[in-house]
Amino acid sequence: MLLQQLVNGLVLGCVYALIAVGYTLVYGVIELINFAHGDIYMLGAFFMYTFLNFGVPFLPSFILAVFCCIIVGILLDIIAYRPVRYSERLAALITAIGMSIFFENMALLIWGADIKRYSANLIPSFFRKLFINLPNEHIKNVFLTVSYLQVVIIVLSIILMIALHLIIHKTKIGTAMRAIAQDKRAAALMGIDVNRVISFTFALGSALAGVAGIFIGMYYNSIYPMMGYIAGIKAFAAAVLGGIGSVPGAMLGGIVLGMAETIGAGYISSAYRHGIAYAVMIFVILFNPAGLMGKKRVEKV
Amino acid sequence: MKNYVKIIGLIIGILLPLIPFQGIDYVLRVATLTVLYMILALGLNIIVGFAGLLDLGYVGFYGIGAYVCGLISVHFGWNFWSLIPLCIIAGALSGILLGTPTLRLTGDYFAIVTFGFAELVVLIIRNEIWLTRGPMGVTGIPPITFFGHALTKEWQYYYIIFGLFLIILMLIKRLENSKIGRAWFAIREDEIAAQCCGVNLVRYKVLAFAISASIGAIGGAFYARWFRFIHPDMFKFWESILILCLIVFGGMGNVWGVILGTLVLIPLTEILRNILPQQFVEARYLIFGALLVIMMRFRPNGLIPFTRENKK
Repeated sequence: MLLQQLVNGLVLGCVYALIAVGYTLVYGVIELINFAHGDIYMLGAFFMYTFLNFGVPFLPSFILAVFCCIIVGILLDIIAYRPVRYSERLAALITAIGMSIFFENMALLIWGADIKRYSANLIPSFFRKLFINLPNEHIKNVFLTVSYLQVVIIVLSIILMIALHLIIHKTKIGTAMRAIAQDKRAAALMGIDVNRVISFTFALGSALAGVAGIFIGMYYNSIYPMMGYIAGIKAFAAAVLGGIGSVPGAMLGGIVLGMAETIGAGYISSAYRHGIAYAVMIFVILFNPAGLMGKKRVEKV
Repeated sequence: MKNYVKIIGLIIGILLPLIPFQGIDYVLRVATLTVLYMILALGLNIIVGFAGLLDLGYVGFYGIGAYVCGLISVHFGWNFWSLIPLCIIAGALSGILLGTPTLRLTGDYFAIVTFGFAELVVLIIRNEIWLTRGPMGVTGIPPITFFGHALTKEWQYYYIIFGLFLIILMLIKRLENSKIGRAWFAIREDEIAAQCCGVNLVRYKVLAFAISASIGAIGGAFYARWFRFIHPDMFKFWESILILCLIVFGGMGNVWGVILGTLVLIPLTEILRNILPQQFVEARYLIFGALLVIMMRFRPNGLIPFTRENKK
């Protein structure tokens, strides 16, 4: 039972981590809580649904859906956030909330309010096969089932995280991102095209969110326009837990939160499943706003 | 410009009390709802507009007021007028409960914690079925009585909410120009500078919370006795956003702006509900999202921006 919960928690945690990284990247670079990020995750799942239903095979649909998420992320930055970049913080935050409402209702309008499912014949049956199925004839006392889908989610998440780490630390544009995170003005003076790098940050975050959306769509086999709202908040909680602005923190936070949620739902109360994420988030913000791996910030006058 | 605004205000001020005479119940219900939202918007404006803290969980206080009023009326049969002080106390207490630990927070973190608070309130209402009946909602809430007469006509409720609105409006206008109001504005402009000038941050922030929350609770109490049915879904995050929209649209911090924003937007949602084709009705908040974005882009201070009156 516990082992099963841990595995389920790890899968969920990997997905939260994928979304949380997007929050933390954007926050690190422009200090904005991108409320619409959860909705890009939702759009990812719906793009996948649409492409699959148009008869595109699985893998091309996956790539196309992620690509569409990247486009939406870049457009979101250019159309909504760029004009308010140098106005008050409150203005940018309200813009983000507005965009989130906009996306959710747009999805409601296009795809309808009822729960959609990926039809089984469009998803390779490989994902439904069991990777581990215990107890079997050799091991009798352990109860554990792990599907290939779960394995793929975990492995692909880890690969993406490593890739992200390499992009941030080993490439030119990653260096530019870190420079902007430290000082936007100085970075611009060093010849960095700030707007382009910020758009790239949104693209990275959106791609990961899109992948997360598709995974969850396949894992729970239900997608609906409001799914981005709760997942977005939980991923944000994960980013805060890990220390907002810190990429490894977001990964760690996502996994801790995912495990806390499944174990909490299994052993404490499944009715308060979502409440655990909110409670974790509130307590971390109140008592240790720097998070697990974030830097302490000093307020300057 | 100033005179122009005043004349419109005067016309609206004369028209509002006369709405019940047009005789259509539906219009009257929308008018009652609009005035109710004016009260809520005024309440939220204290935290967001005056003290400059983005509160995304205002609906939590509204829900607490509605449930305190609804449950006590159903189980103990108290009348509305004696419940109002109780709801004010409940609201103020929950405001202090949320306000005290969040004192140190500003900006985004504050917004997120208040959001989490409201979500937890809804979760508790939904799950503690022994107390709140959870997803079944509270039914059979008695109507408001007035000297022993149960009020059942729509216009009676309209005048009650209008009266409450006038009292709250007067109170807020008095607060705005008092020492307390000035302290809030100082906190909004620059917290550290305000503190250096001797503004007690703890006291004024908690006070802002308590007053704002009690106004929300009054709104909730009226809503419970007016609608006579309450359900956890009525107090979801969107309500907070809707109220925030009203403020942002009208002009954050400006009482008249907030009232005007409500007067435009709440009837607009009802009009949209009627004129839009069926498949668009559910997505009518799309317009609100777009409106928020466009307002922030082109007129970040709202329809009637806040201006400080130059007083000698």
